[in-house]
This record gives sequence, C-alpha cells and structure tokens, in this order.
Amino acid sequence: MNWLTRLLSNRVDTASLDAPLRDALIRWQALLQPDLGKAHFETRYVVINTEATGLNLESDRLLAVGAVAIDGALLSPHDSYYARLDPDPATALTNLLTFSGAGPVVVFNAAFNRSMLEGALTEHLGITPEWAWLDLHWLLPALYDERIDRAARLGDWMKAFSIETFQRHHALGDAWAIAQLMLAAQSRALAEGLNTPRSLAELERTRRQLRRHG
Amino acid sequence: MIATAPEMLIGASSDFLKRFSPFNRMEPEALEFLTERAVLAFHGKGSEILTPDMGQPSHFHIVQRGKVQARQSGPASVTDYNTMTLGPGECFPIGAISAQRPSTNAYVAVEDSFVFQLPADDFLKLIQMSPVFHLFCTQYIASLLNQSRQQLQSTFSQRAAEQQSMTTQLGQLVKKVPVFVTPDSTIRAALEKMSEMRIGCMVVADAEHKPVGILTQSDLLPRVVLPEIDLKRPISDVMTQTPHVMSAAASAYDAALEMATHGVRHLLVIDSEGKLSGVVSERDLFTLQRISLRQIRASIEGASDVESLQRASRDIRQLALNLIAQGIGAEQLTQFISALNDALTRRIIDLALARHELYGIDYAWLAFGSEGRHEQTLSSDQDNGVIYVCPENTDGATLKQRLIAFAKEVNENLAECGFPLCKGNIMASNPELCLTLDEWKSRFGDWIREPDPQALLNASIFFDYRVLCGNERLGDQLRNWLNRTAKANTAFLRMMAVNALQVVPPLGRIRDFVLEDDGTIDLKKYGARLFVDVARILALRAGVASSSTVQRLRQAGAKMGMQADELSALIDGFHFIQLLRLRSQHLETEHDAPGDNRINPDDLNELDRRILKEAFRQARKLQLRLKLDYQL
Repeated sequence: MNWLTRLLSNRVDTASLDAPLRDALIRWQALLQPDLGKAHFETRYVVINTEATGLNLESDRLLAVGAVAIDGALLSPHDSYYARLDPDPATALTNLLTFSGAGPVVVFNAAFNRSMLEGALTEHLGITPEWAWLDLHWLLPALYDERIDRAARLGDWMKAFSIETFQRHHALGDAWAIAQLMLAAQSRALAEGLNTPRSLAELERTRRQLRRHG
Repeated sequence: MIATAPEMLIGASSDFLKRFSPFNRMEPEALEFLTERAVLAFHGKGSEILTPDMGQPSHFHIVQRGKVQARQSGPASVTDYNTMTLGPGECFPIGAISAQRPSTNAYVAVEDSFVFQLPADDFLKLIQMSPVFHLFCTQYIASLLNQSRQQLQSTFSQRAAEQQSMTTQLGQLVKKVPVFVTPDSTIRAALEKMSEMRIGCMVVADAEHKPVGILTQSDLLPRVVLPEIDLKRPISDVMTQTPHVMSAAASAYDAALEMATHGVRHLLVIDSEGKLSGVVSERDLFTLQRISLRQIRASIEGASDVESLQRASRDIRQLALNLIAQGIGAEQLTQFISALNDALTRRIIDLALARHELYGIDYAWLAFGSEGRHEQTLSSDQDNGVIYVCPENTDGATLKQRLIAFAKEVNENLAECGFPLCKGNIMASNPELCLTLDEWKSRFGDWIREPDPQALLNASIFFDYRVLCGNERLGDQLRNWLNRTAKANTAFLRMMAVNALQVVPPLGRIRDFVLEDDGTIDLKKYGARLFVDVARILALRAGVASSSTVQRLRQAGAKMGMQADELSALIDGFHFIQLLRLRSQHLETEHDAPGDNRINPDDLNELDRRILKEAFRQARKLQLRLKLDYQL
C-alpha cells in the first residue's frame, strides 16, 4: 500500500450535504499529507476509537466516535473530540475528520475500529481517508513484550500499565486509555531508536508479516 | 446536553486528583483551573524528568501512575533527603518552582510513569488563587499532619459516641422539652408534676419562659417536709432564687466546672434570648464523660490505698482514649499520660513512705527509658531506680537496705496499678540500681570508657533518666557530670552513633515500606527509636539537660545550627509515629489484646501512609546528619 506518496483522490458526493459541511470537507481534503519521517514529538497523532451496537461488522452499526490527540508527546484534555452519530451522522463524522486532520491515526484493533469507521464514512460522506493507520494491537506486544508478549485485549493492556479511564466501552473513555498506551508506546519506541511514525508503521508491518508466516 | 470531550476528560482528571490531598480540599474553581491546564506525559522507567541542570523548572508535576524518585545530586548535603520516592497524587518540585530556582534534586522515573504537568506560570497563579494549595505548598508536612489528626478524630468519634466529648455544646445535650411551672403555682402542683414526670428538680419560669427559680429533691426535706409547709402556698416561697444558668452555646466542660465551683447538681440551659431550653444534671455530664483530668488527678491525690489508685490507673487509660477522640495531638497526649502517671507514682511513693521511715535521707526516685523521656505509651513497663547520698558516719549497708525495702514496696504497688514489673529487672528494688551519686557516676563512667554492646544498650536506657520525686539536685549533679564526661569522650559518642545507625528507616527503594515477614512495621524499633537514639547523642554532645527526645532535638538542634523549619519537620515526624503507636495500642486494648507497636501500612489510609513515609524520611535525614558528623 503506497499511502506515503499517494495524493488524495477521493471525490465526495457533496450534493446532499449542507454548505458548511461541504466547505469543511473541502478544507479537510486540501490538507497536506503529514511527513511521516518527522520525530514523534513533532507529530500530532490522533487516537480514534469507535463505539458500536456490537462487534459484528456486517450487522452492527457505529454509535459514537471518540478521539484524543497526542501532540508533542503530551495529552491535553482540550485536544479531544467526541460525538454520537445520531441524529446527524454527517456532521459528527465531518467534525471527526476536521479534528483528525491528515493523521497519522492510531487505533486499538484496526480490524474492527478502522473497518467500522471507514464503513460509516463511506456511507455518510462517501469518503475513505488516506490516513496512515497505526494499530496498538500489534505495536504494544512488539514494544512491551516483557509485559505481554502476544496480541491481547485492550483491558489486558490497561491492566498491564494500571491505566484507568472514566468509562470503559465508551468511545472517548476507551480512547483516553488507548492514548495513554500510545504515550507509553512512543516513549519505548524512542528508546529503541524508532523515532518516527514511519518507523512505527514499519514495526507494525513486520509484526503482521511474522504473524502471517509464523 | 451531552458533555463535550474536553469536559469529560477534565472531569476524569479532576475525579482522579480528588483522591489525593490537597486536591480533595482544593477550591472547586482552583481545581478546575488546574485540571484544565494540566497535560499528561509519559516517562519511561529510568528516564530523567527534571534535573538541576535543566535550570528553573518549566513545569510542576503530579504523579498520576508509577513511581518517581527524587535523588540528591551534587555534593552531599543534609538540607534535603538523600532519596525519596513519590507515588500517585504526589507532586514535585514544590520548593524549586515556588522559589523559581533550579531544583536541587534530580527526579527520575523508577517505573514507567504517567505524570501530569502544569506550566510554571500556571502553578504560580494556582498558588495565588487557592489558599488551600498555598498552604499545602508552604506547610507541606504540617498541613498533612493536621489533616490526619482530623481524620483520626472522626474515626474515634464513632467509637466515642456514647461518651461524647466534653466539648459538646449544652444545647445539643438537652433534648427533652423543658418542664417548668410558673412562680404562682402551688407547691403541691409542682411536686405532683415532678412525681409524674419522674424528674429530680422543678424549674420555675415566668410568663416569658425565663427561669426565676429552681426546687430540687434535696431541697424538699429542709424546706418543705420538715417545716410542714402548707402545700397550697406558691412555689416561689420555697424555691432557690436566681438559679445557676448557662448559655446553650457553653460546653459540657464549662458546665462541669460551674457545678464543681458552686456545688450544684443542676444547671438551667438558656437560649440566646434567656428562655429556658432545658436542664443539665450532674448525672448527664457524668454519663457523658465519667472521667476528667481534674477528677483523676484529685482521686490520685486523695487516694489512701492501692485499690483506689488501681481505679485511677484504669481511668487514665480511658481518659487517653477520650482525649484521642477529641483530636488531641501526640505531644499533649503523652504529656497528659506522663503527668498522670507521675502523679500516680508519686502517690504510691507517698503511701510507701508512711510505712518506711526515710526522713532526713537525701534521695531521689529516678525514671528511666521512655518514662524518663516523658514518652510513655500505655504498655510501658516500669523502669526506675534510686539515687541517694550516704552521709559520713553512716552505715551504708543498712541505709541501702532501708531504701531497697521501700523501693520494693513501690515497685509492687506500681505493678498492681498496671505498670508491669520490668522483665530486665530495671527497678529501684534491684540493689544494682539503688546507688549513691558517686556509684552512679562510676557506673556511667564505666560504660563511657568501655562502650561494649551491653554498655551502649545500658546507656540508651539509663542516660534518659529524670527525677520523678525527691531531691532534684541529685539528678542535676549527675546530669552535669554525665554531659561533661560524654562530651569529652568522642570515641564513646562515635560508638553510640554507630549503634544508632544500625537500624535504618524501613523505606523501600521501589516499594513504599520494607516490611517484616508478617507484613508489619515495628514502629518502636524502626520508628521512634531512630529519633530517640540520635536525639540522645546530640543532647550529650550539646550538653542538653532535658531527657525528652523533642526537647533534645529542639535544644541541641538549635545549638548545632539546624534550621527551625527543618527541626519542626523532624519533630512532627517523630510525633506522628508516636501518635500511630498510641493509636494502635488504644485500638488493641479495646479488644483486650496486649498492646504492641506493630502496624500494617495497608491498614492505614492513603494520607497516613504518606505522612508515615515522610516521617521515615525525616528519620533518615536525621541519621544522615549523624553519619556525616562522625564520617560513618
């Protein structure tokens, strides 16, 4: 997947959207791709998490989105976003795109969260963002194998770091926990010479391949 | 309206911080200011968060999770801790950031840690904005101690519910609607009402409910029955006029004092307008608190036999419990216990003197160990001795026999009154401890010249002597001689220092406390003794006459140029450990288990644990000073 150089090519079906949303989406699409070769502390990562009616991608639908930015390796409560899709999914998702900018985006368990989110974005906005996605589900066991040396659930990782959050299984509540795990991941990555988002993406790719072949 | 994401996250941080002091007491707007501006950072194990080289700190940090160690860097100094570990809710660097100077410590994450950070400017604004935070920063330990005392008070107030404290306001004590008659009521009507209501006295009040008189049961015989008064006459003819009244805002203690002063058994409680709101009887106060300091003292001084002193001894324990419930500090509490035990011991000695003719003999009764230091807890056994002068031309052996016989009786009676006989036979009836001034000097001199382990142990008990009764000057003479001799003998002081440093505070490098196998800490051995042992050495060196640890630290510390705030932090630490010891003893005597000094830190609340940690750090600091002084 050559998302590093590919320019945005999606065209939004904007006809059905209100003018302010349309403008917001146009501004979002005009954003430049981030330089994935910059250091962590110069990068704004956006942790995105979803809350759905269930875990089945086919039959369940997205209820809410939560996002927390990690800017300069710090979590600020102000740099966060939460919205329920009802009653206005287009606005909720457009604001999420505006908040997230050009990424890179961090999730825990892309197989579910990314797919659920992309499904909703296609359905409501006709957009599939060309973000660089990082998945802590793969990255954490690669970086902190002394704590858990295999892919594990979010709850296990929270326990391993004694991380707490104000509400489990809430889009923002879990995003807050995932963001803290990302802080930890960043710090360990740095210590191991993985200084950039690109190097994290590389690590994740290797992990996935190992898993596939092993 | 659904909360926005920032509102939810700020709320989460504030809920977290509210678990810890001082944030749980902080003004809501100040806490909001803090949580709005605090951002969360991660510091991997081993990474430096703040060092002196970084200059003026740019951020104030609050540990969210993990452990951060503060390490003294640069040339070793006794003005700060060697190392200390900070856990969740603890913050740094308070001093450096307030003074806007580089930190003297290096702060290193010893575990993977999440730490909130607040820009220095916002920290300074927060101090301005929040009196609570300001107080916290300037009186770090003092404010924590105070809070812990309040918490202690509330735990005890439950248990003390049935024996409410003497500070209760009278208004809260009178619950029944007041019963009274008007001055023109007949005596018969008043008596019928007393009988019907089963009350011991009748209040007479005017049309505005203001009390004008009282008639009590004990008045009936002399004023009504014997003079054969016509019961149809108005009650105003026989009542006591201008009865004793007290405001509803006065305390039970005030009432007790008033009753004792005027010899009355009933007091009329009035509200702010002077209207009757109820009656308080001596019996009400009696059940409120059976024992008062004054009462115990009086009962001790008036006791004519050992049985009544035994009762007084039980009362002393009960009083100590009540005093803790009233939130009294360790220092005052030990002073009370010490004063009452002294009074008890003196009375026992007086009683013994009636049977042992010691007139004209120059002697003094000595207390050793914790009793000598005024630091008795409730489970101390007796440690005592006698010092005397043998006049020329006197049969020394006979004189000593007389003193020992007298001491034996005192020792046995003390045992009857709850001071167990000393297992090590450190008692005045032991011929080895009933010595003349010269013999004591030679005994002490031997230990100083040849400080073997036994001699050092002896020094730690006997050098803390004080005169409890008898000729004080004998004690003074011995003290002057002892201080001079010890000071001149640096090798001895050095050995004492080595000995004192053999036990270190049970602070872990990673974990908070180092525990014994059963999960407890012995607060005598690993707590109080650390302070006591160093204080003794400092006192000998500085020639301080007092035997109390606090006085020794205060006086010797001042002489040695220790800063006042440094000293009070040390003393606060010592007092806190003493308070925990007393508290655990109290809780145990409730179950009739033998009092001991063990506590399980897990049983303490978060705040007490942190103060205990701080107290141990103070002990470590004190030891460090000794270490440097003797280059150990």
